[in-house]
Amino acid sequence: MASLGDMLFLLVTFAVLLVLVGKFAWKPVTKMMDTRADKINNDLDYAENARTEAQALQEKRQAELKNSQADAVKIVSQAKENGEKQRQQLVDAAHTEVATLKANAQQDIAQQKQDALNSAKDDVAELSLAIAGKIIGKELNADDQQTLIDSYIKGLGDANGTH
Amino acid sequence: MNESYPYLKLFGLTFNLTNDIGILVTAAIAFCLVFWLARKPQLRPQGKQNVLEWIIDFTNGIVKQQMPGPEGNRFGLLAFVLFVFIFINNQVGLFLQVDVSGKTWFRSPTSDPVVTMSLAMLVLVLSHYFGVVFKGFKGYLQGYISPVPFLLPINIIEEFTNFVTLSMRLYGNIFAGEVLVLLIRQFAFSGMGGPTSFIAGFVLEMVWQGFSVFIGSIQAYIFVTLAMVYTSHKVVSE
Repeated sequence: MASLGDMLFLLVTFAVLLVLVGKFAWKPVTKMMDTRADKINNDLDYAENARTEAQALQEKRQAELKNSQADAVKIVSQAKENGEKQRQQLVDAAHTEVATLKANAQQDIAQQKQDALNSAKDDVAELSLAIAGKIIGKELNADDQQTLIDSYIKGLGDANGTH
Repeated sequence: MNESYPYLKLFGLTFNLTNDIGILVTAAIAFCLVFWLARKPQLRPQGKQNVLEWIIDFTNGIVKQQMPGPEGNRFGLLAFVLFVFIFINNQVGLFLQVDVSGKTWFRSPTSDPVVTMSLAMLVLVLSHYFGVVFKGFKGYLQGYISPVPFLLPINIIEEFTNFVTLSMRLYGNIFAGEVLVLLIRQFAFSGMGGPTSFIAGFVLEMVWQGFSVFIGSIQAYIFVTLAMVYTSHKVVSE
């Protein structure tokens, strides 16, 4: 019976082929396919995570940017205020100093003027006394002389229109 | 391809050498091809690895269509080897037929009903075996009285018709294809009309061979698909 031999031969050959293909081709290739599928899965998960993380960071950064903008505005306005205050203080200080200086100077001027007038008065009195003594050869009483000079000076001042 | 074959008697069994040589050559071609395609698999597939992965995806698709559950994982390798083996079986005889001194020495093994019946039997025995493995012996027997008990005789008859249709469909297609290849060859060399018949025969042979490649591929696909359908009936619990 020819068919039984052929059948056995086919079955054995097929079994051997099944084992060999399974060992040398099927296993390595399907393993690689599984590895690839896993890797793709992992990569997709990783990309998803990275995306959400990036979005969170972006939002955080946006918020921080907004905060820092507000801070900057606050700082600038504060600085402006401070500057204004300081300027006012400086100006005020300068004003008071100027006023003091002016008052002092006026006082000094008045004092010096008074001093000069006084000394001029004395000089003129002595000078005129000496001149008068020389001219009229007569020694004038110093007190009389003084009153005379005073009256003269007074007349001089009236003529100038100052005092 | 005449119906006279060389025989060899060994261990009390008779071997049809035409079938056995064809089977051996086919298995060698199948293994060498797949082995070569599977050299150095890489994570990023290139060239030949893509071809192999495409075939594996194709046969896995056939299996998963019938058995979407975890049962299907067991049959991927079987479907793959079955498909490659039958595909090459169907094609070898189209390109090489050897007749020596009135005896056929080489043609497609699947153009012999013994070979196709052996393949069908292999598949059906495996389906019964895995039916018992997956559902238990009781569940396996219950499969014969489902959905209703009076279908028992029909279910039993179905087992035989499955076997016969599965094997005879493949045999008929391939056998007819090879007979026509032979007839066209005889026509080409008949000398009718001199060179005209040769040229006509040449063209016809080419056309028919191309068509037979198509038929052989389709038949390999159908065989594997039906094998998985019958297996899933036994294995998958509704």
